[in-house]
Amino acid sequence: MSRKNRTKFSIIRGAAALGIGLLVAFLLIFFGSEGSTVGEKFSSALDALREMLISPLFRKDGSFSLKNLSDVLAGMIPILFTGLATCIMFAANQFNLGAEGGIMLGAFVTSLVAIYVPVPGPLLIIVAVLAGAIASAAVMLIPAVLKAKLGVSEMVNSLMLNYVIMYFLNYLMKSFLADTSKGITQTFPFQDNALIPQMINNGSRLSWGFVAGLIMVVLSWFFMYRTKWGYGIRMTGINQPFVMYSGMNVAMIIILCQVLGGLLAGMGGGIEVLGRYNVYNWSALPGYGWTGITVAILAGNNPLYVPLAAFFMSYLTKGCTLMSTNTDVPAQLISIIQAVIFIFFAAQQFLSGYRQKLVVQSAKEEMAENNAGKEALR
Amino acid sequence: MSEEYVIQMKDITKVYPNGTVANQDVCLNVKKGEIHALMGENGAGKSTLMKMLFGLEQPTSGEILVNGEKVNLSSPSMAISKGIGMVHQHFMLVPSLTVAENMVLGMVPKRSGCLIDEKKAVELTEEYAKKFNLLVDARAKVMDIPVGMKQKVEILKALVRGARILILDEPTAVLTAQETQELFVQLKNLKNQGYTIIFISHKLKEIMEITDRMTILRGGRSMGVHETSQVTPQEISRLMVGRDVILKVEKDKAQPGKEVLRVRDLSFTNEWGKKMLDSVSLSVRKGEILGIAGVEGNGQKELVDMLFGFSRPNGGSIQVNGENLIGLSQREIRRKHVSLVPEDRMLYGIASTATIEENLISDRSGSPELNRGILFNMKAIHKETEALIKDYTVLCKNGSQQVGSLSGGNIQKVVVAREFSNDPALIIADQPTRGIDVGATEFIRKKLIELSRSGIAVLLISADLNEVMELSDSLIIMHGGKIAAYFEDTAELTDELMGRYMLGLEEQSPEEIRRVCHE
Repeated sequence: MSRKNRTKFSIIRGAAALGIGLLVAFLLIFFGSEGSTVGEKFSSALDALREMLISPLFRKDGSFSLKNLSDVLAGMIPILFTGLATCIMFAANQFNLGAEGGIMLGAFVTSLVAIYVPVPGPLLIIVAVLAGAIASAAVMLIPAVLKAKLGVSEMVNSLMLNYVIMYFLNYLMKSFLADTSKGITQTFPFQDNALIPQMINNGSRLSWGFVAGLIMVVLSWFFMYRTKWGYGIRMTGINQPFVMYSGMNVAMIIILCQVLGGLLAGMGGGIEVLGRYNVYNWSALPGYGWTGITVAILAGNNPLYVPLAAFFMSYLTKGCTLMSTNTDVPAQLISIIQAVIFIFFAAQQFLSGYRQKLVVQSAKEEMAENNAGKEALR
Repeated sequence: MSEEYVIQMKDITKVYPNGTVANQDVCLNVKKGEIHALMGENGAGKSTLMKMLFGLEQPTSGEILVNGEKVNLSSPSMAISKGIGMVHQHFMLVPSLTVAENMVLGMVPKRSGCLIDEKKAVELTEEYAKKFNLLVDARAKVMDIPVGMKQKVEILKALVRGARILILDEPTAVLTAQETQELFVQLKNLKNQGYTIIFISHKLKEIMEITDRMTILRGGRSMGVHETSQVTPQEISRLMVGRDVILKVEKDKAQPGKEVLRVRDLSFTNEWGKKMLDSVSLSVRKGEILGIAGVEGNGQKELVDMLFGFSRPNGGSIQVNGENLIGLSQREIRRKHVSLVPEDRMLYGIASTATIEENLISDRSGSPELNRGILFNMKAIHKETEALIKDYTVLCKNGSQQVGSLSGGNIQKVVVAREFSNDPALIIADQPTRGIDVGATEFIRKKLIELSRSGIAVLLISADLNEVMELSDSLIIMHGGKIAAYFEDTAELTDELMGRYMLGLEEQSPEEIRRVCHE
């Protein structure tokens, strides 16, 4: 298929998946909403849907809401990182689901450094975030090496590892690190110079970590498309026997992509805690890793599309929160909408008939071109 | 006249979606109660024809009659209901279940509505086993029983489902000599009970021993029906492997230099305990093309796997320019300047959704010429790949086109461009022109000769007789994991002579064969 048709197909397919997701959402809201007549139900469902889709940008009176937009952007920060992490791992066909535990561990280790390690000035931020990233990368060696050397499924391992990390961190918190003068389990406050400055001081917690995230997007793209390692990772994802036959080191690639995934997830955790909080108080998996998987799949494992996908997910989350605040529709609906979109994106055969048509069309165009070329030569 | 046929396949043509024509106006008539051989080389269209008879594929045109009645075999269950059963070459059994459980899969006897009636399954199995004298251990797990018994289970499975016509797809490929003999006794037994058997094989001796009539396929076309007792093995071999078109390639006489590839006493026994390579020794020298001919499955694949590190031999040695290759990774083997044009180009040769450019640099992505610091030097990559696309006349818009969207011939040109351009000392070309168009075939053949004359050692493995005879300077024939013959000069060879060695009717003396070592 020609490049033009491929792009066209991706866009139409994406839009169709979104449309179906929203349609399902609308139906669910419709059946769940108040009102005795169909007309009433319809109008209240429309209200809810409008709330979900429009309110993250505009107020009731139609004026633009910077606060809501910066909330959406702030919500992108952690999932930018987990999305990139998952992109790199999935690109090599390594279905490592450890970004969830990775971001939690990164947040925790970064917090410890931010509390206890005396480093002067803003250097502390860098040291703390790097420490979190490295810790998370190191832990990701477990599923990576087991897969590369023994062929153990990285999916199962990383999935279990998330819970090991969570319970281990909770144990450390409760036994050693918690500030017992507080009512909930939380650490002592970070040193002041560990806090990442905010871009806008409106309570949105949109920190400069957002820019760091965008920089990582660009770096990840360069890594994936402009270095031999990224090339090896992508080729492994397409055809592993080919990579082996070509003389690349498959085991190294399998380990590398997962360690990098851990690194990015950990970095995201560190940036999230230092940008949003002044203590560490996570007691459960934050869910950013799971959303990161959706982001990576929406982005088709291409780092460049991660910001778009992350924006979309963050926007939907914000919209659902606002919808549940202002109407009687529960915020949990977002899980259903996400699931529906996810299913249609992940479904290999979705719109495959349409794709076949485009393939045939491309083939015909090519044949016509070839013939025209031959005619011209005569 | 037509009543005596249980199966009639009339003018069957099959075109696969990718454009491959697997069968062309093939007719197959099978009489009731006979053992009918379907013969031909790999790729001749035997399997496709049988898949259509078993409802796994639909013919593009032509019709199928079972017991004189026209049928539309849209699925295997349809075929089974018409009394057709198939025993696949690769067993379709669940290893973790018992023999009896496998027997009743999909037709499980139930006890009180939902529980599996284990006893009844075992009884049923034993009843059929006794009736057809195919003794199996009904309670054993399939993974614990020997290959020969697995095959019996497969046959019984078909019989339990009411098959009167059995298709056996290369049933002896995985069996030892004794198991084969046992199978033949049982097949004759079935024949005496009125069952019809279609026996797919390319092993001449077996065909002569067990079948009544045979249909020979070559290149997707039927070469006619023959009474087994009326034809000689020589005629069969001529019909099976004879050449159709002769593509002449110009080449001057080889000036062999020093030894590049040195293989000595290479042996390999596969996971089922079958000896696939038996003390193979050969040498390829600088500037010459050594061809390996032979019916597929006689050790060529295993030999290539050993040479390129995909599996390890049980014994023997492999050296390139005096350095050992055994136990090395593909990366290390490539560093010794060995290139491989793989037989399965879609599996090993390319990453089909990647671009042409990405496919052309897969073996050199780490080279200093293509990198600047930690980043790729995109300019150098474009320059190198554009030059390769031009030199090897790959028909494409540009290097960023997906390689999988090219035609088979152009895909192979991409593979060849990469493998021929990385400064090789030895090129292993495994079926380099299989299934590609005439233009690409001619191009690749010329390139191989050109490279060999420039001082590269070439080992050419091909099932295409025309190809090995035209390209090779000297030639060996493999049969049963051994070298059956060595010919120093291909000029004096005839198809018929080669056919006799390929099918194991003749074998040279060890001294004659040993000449390939050039000692």
